Amino acid sequence: MTFVRDDLRPVQRRLAVLLAGSLTLCAGVGLRLWTLQVTQAERWQRAAENNRLRRVPLEAPRGAVTDLRGETVLDTRPAFQLLLFPEELDNVEETVAFLAGLDLAPAEELRSRFERAQRTSHLPSVIADNLTWRQVAAIAAHKTDYRALEAHPATRRSSPEGPIIAHLAGQLSEASPEQLSRNSRLRQGQLVGRSGLEAAYDHVLGGTPGNLVMVVDALGRQVSQVDQEPPIPGKPMQVTLDMTLQREAAAAMADQVGAVVGLDPRTGAVRILLARPAFDPDLFAGRLAPARWQELLQDPLRPLHNRALQALYPPGSTIKPLWAAGLLLDRVRTPSDTVVCTGGATIYGHPYRCWQAGGHGRVDLEQALEVSCDTYFYYLARDVGLERLGRWARLLGLGTPTGIEISGEARGLVPSDEWSRRARGHPWYAGETISVGIGQGPILATPIQLAVAYAALVNGGYLVHPHLVPGVAEPPTSLDIPESVLSVVRSGMERVVLGERGTARRQAPGGIPFGGKTGTSQVVRKRDGVRWQDLPWEQRHHALFVGYAPLEHPELVVAVVVEHGGDGSAAAAPVAARILRRAFGTATPSGMVVAQAPAQPQVEPSPSRPPAAGGPS
Amino acid sequence: MLLAVATIGVCSFLAQGSTAQALASPGFAARQAVWLLVAAVMLVLFAMADYRVLARLAPALYAVSVLVLALMPVLAPLRSGSRAWLPLGGYTIQPSEFVRVVTILAVAALAREYTLHRLDFKGALRLTAVVAAPAFLVALQPDLGVALTYIPILLAALWLGGLPWRVWAALILSGVLLAGVAWTWYLKPYQQERVLTVLDASRDPFGAGYQQRQSQIAVGSGGLTGKGLHSGTQSQLRFLPAQHTDFIFAVWAEETGFFGSLLLVAAYALLLARIFLVAMAARDRTGALLAGGVGTVLAVQSLINLAMVVGVSPTTGITLPLMSYGGSSMLATGIALGMVQSVWRLRYANV
Repeated sequence: MTFVRDDLRPVQRRLAVLLAGSLTLCAGVGLRLWTLQVTQAERWQRAAENNRLRRVPLEAPRGAVTDLRGETVLDTRPAFQLLLFPEELDNVEETVAFLAGLDLAPAEELRSRFERAQRTSHLPSVIADNLTWRQVAAIAAHKTDYRALEAHPATRRSSPEGPIIAHLAGQLSEASPEQLSRNSRLRQGQLVGRSGLEAAYDHVLGGTPGNLVMVVDALGRQVSQVDQEPPIPGKPMQVTLDMTLQREAAAAMADQVGAVVGLDPRTGAVRILLARPAFDPDLFAGRLAPARWQELLQDPLRPLHNRALQALYPPGSTIKPLWAAGLLLDRVRTPSDTVVCTGGATIYGHPYRCWQAGGHGRVDLEQALEVSCDTYFYYLARDVGLERLGRWARLLGLGTPTGIEISGEARGLVPSDEWSRRARGHPWYAGETISVGIGQGPILATPIQLAVAYAALVNGGYLVHPHLVPGVAEPPTSLDIPESVLSVVRSGMERVVLGERGTARRQAPGGIPFGGKTGTSQVVRKRDGVRWQDLPWEQRHHALFVGYAPLEHPELVVAVVVEHGGDGSAAAAPVAARILRRAFGTATPSGMVVAQAPAQPQVEPSPSRPPAAGGPS
Repeated sequence: MLLAVATIGVCSFLAQGSTAQALASPGFAARQAVWLLVAAVMLVLFAMADYRVLARLAPALYAVSVLVLALMPVLAPLRSGSRAWLPLGGYTIQPSEFVRVVTILAVAALAREYTLHRLDFKGALRLTAVVAAPAFLVALQPDLGVALTYIPILLAALWLGGLPWRVWAALILSGVLLAGVAWTWYLKPYQQERVLTVLDASRDPFGAGYQQRQSQIAVGSGGLTGKGLHSGTQSQLRFLPAQHTDFIFAVWAEETGFFGSLLLVAAYALLLARIFLVAMAARDRTGALLAGGVGTVLAVQSLINLAMVVGVSPTTGITLPLMSYGGSSMLATGIALGMVQSVWRLRYANV
């Protein structure tokens, strides 16, 4: 081979120099590593411990909520919260004692919060909300003693109207582990809506929290800021609520137990949503102490219960307009067909009494509504049967949640034979149908369901989908009820208030004309010869009234339930009247003329089964 | 060589897993693993290719590369202040990383013409021009960190080509002069700060010296055996800046201690030694310069990064090859090592 190989020896020599140089430098790095990691290890480890970088979560202020006129329903206000940096906590007992001394929380509870905070590793935890100035000052003054603590400025949910919007607004609580894993927007310890509007629109109101990363010295003082990621505040929201009416409803209910729901029958927009008794929403604006939570849970009046959506009541006579619409729709009767009421009826060999012991005489449909004649509806129930009554009730929305954005709504109950066998283990008794005819027995509805049913009766036969934010719900669905049917029912309901013998006729003077229907539903079995006024409070009847105004083109339906109010015309109708007057008439500050000795409902329960005694509350 | 690469690869994956947890972006470690595998495939492919064929293609490859770089201002979108990344079907690639390999190849191909023991002036000038053109374009992007890594290519070529001592002396002198000029007129204040703080790291412990100091604390506090994977306080609490790129070695050193970091440095030493030995065994000048160029670039890059992490050189923004997060760099390194392997494979070939 005559191949002349290029002489590479000089190149190889120079490469060897590079090789030696590289290896020498690698050895140098190794030597430096020995110095840093072995010789000086202690020094650098100390430095790492003194290296305090604090990541402070910056809570996003929750979005404000305003009513239809822009009045504030929910807002935020500045408030200090107490942060604990668990890595810097040296002495748990001392710190707990210091904080307990400031009346922040009982020592026991603080200790458990500290433990939880230490489990969540490197991030600070909120130990307490809503610090007083005294507490903030004390913590700042003892900064050097308890450097793991920091009073941190934040915002807190506030509701200028307090308890009257408590159930509507709902509660806040720290995000649960499931919520955290489902939603990446949430951070550990972040407050999220747990119920009410806060929960339904948490994605709007919640915002996105930010972060502040800063270097602090050994005493916890900020040395420099490394990084800041500002929080994105929650968006403001306008709801359909009318605070003026909500306030009026609360004032009218005073300290009675029950609920008020107000709807615009044209759209289903919720104007009033009130439940009584309520709680102070400020308790839930931050992190609630378990003790207070237990206290509220154990209150026999159940203030956490949103009665407007969750409580089930036998509708009593407020069911009658629904039956009236049904019987005309199915042509079971004509408006002019009459029944002679002699104070009761004997059906299947058992006596059923009308509330008017002397009887109403001859009544047609409108009159039966006006005077709330039980006898008329006993015969009706006997003639049409349970299946058809159930169909009418379901047509107008009973037995199904209304679909309002707020969760936790009750279904209600429209009974059937099949239901009876499944839930009670025995067939339906024919006598029970007669009770259902006057809204007693196992037929249950929520206040908002009653409002929806009445809205359909007065808006031309459309089932509305109640909502707090316009545009989210489906438009009202037509039920195909002829105007000829609805006009009779409405005429009957007008006579309840405006008729000479109307059960709510005492509400008419001094106000605007409105229509509606009273209802009184039994809590316990009626005993002869005992006036309701003489019964203990918890055994008295529930008082109901569902009303609407203006008469021609109603713009507001109000459903009122006063638990153990005794009598619909005496306890519930005045509440509705006052709200409707506030909405459409000139307000009379003197208040209502309340009937002193209203007629008693005289409903004999079905002999075969007692009505759902004590069921609703 | 494969052993060294594999060791570094595994360390890279573990360290990236740790830093991914700290930065709460689990995708980092997984993507890094995928790139490592792709880089390994590249290595094998290019090892099976003939580097001499590639060297013959070098002028064409080089022309395309320079063209792409020249078009970058038009093609690449502005991303964090520079036009260094090219979007390509859902991925973004950093052409400057690949062009560096092409430049090494081009320099090696060019070297075939200089069989003398000493480089003449014309040859030196040509080599300088070949390296300077892409480096200048990269500097314009601007990506100074990567542009600086082109300098070792030239130095390697000049050194291996045999530049006379007098010229070296002149070069060094002009370099110092140039540095002085740059310091006075060209360097931005923050760049000046960086250089100054390395001379005295405690100049400003929370400002310019912050990264340097945090990195040293991380490495030092690792001690003999380290704090355990995913348990480094410096990285997990995010004291360490750029921990998945420039300071990945600090994460490793903190969590695995002296033993772990020494293992990694040894792996780099082994890799570099292997590359230079391949260069010395090369059958021709092109092979020697190709492997020598790759070795020099990797050596300079690794050593500058390591020196930065252990606190003896300023923070330059130069990443650690094979360890730092980044697909383009990983792939380019895989290709370069593949070509080195090709030089080794064909060391006795006669044709």
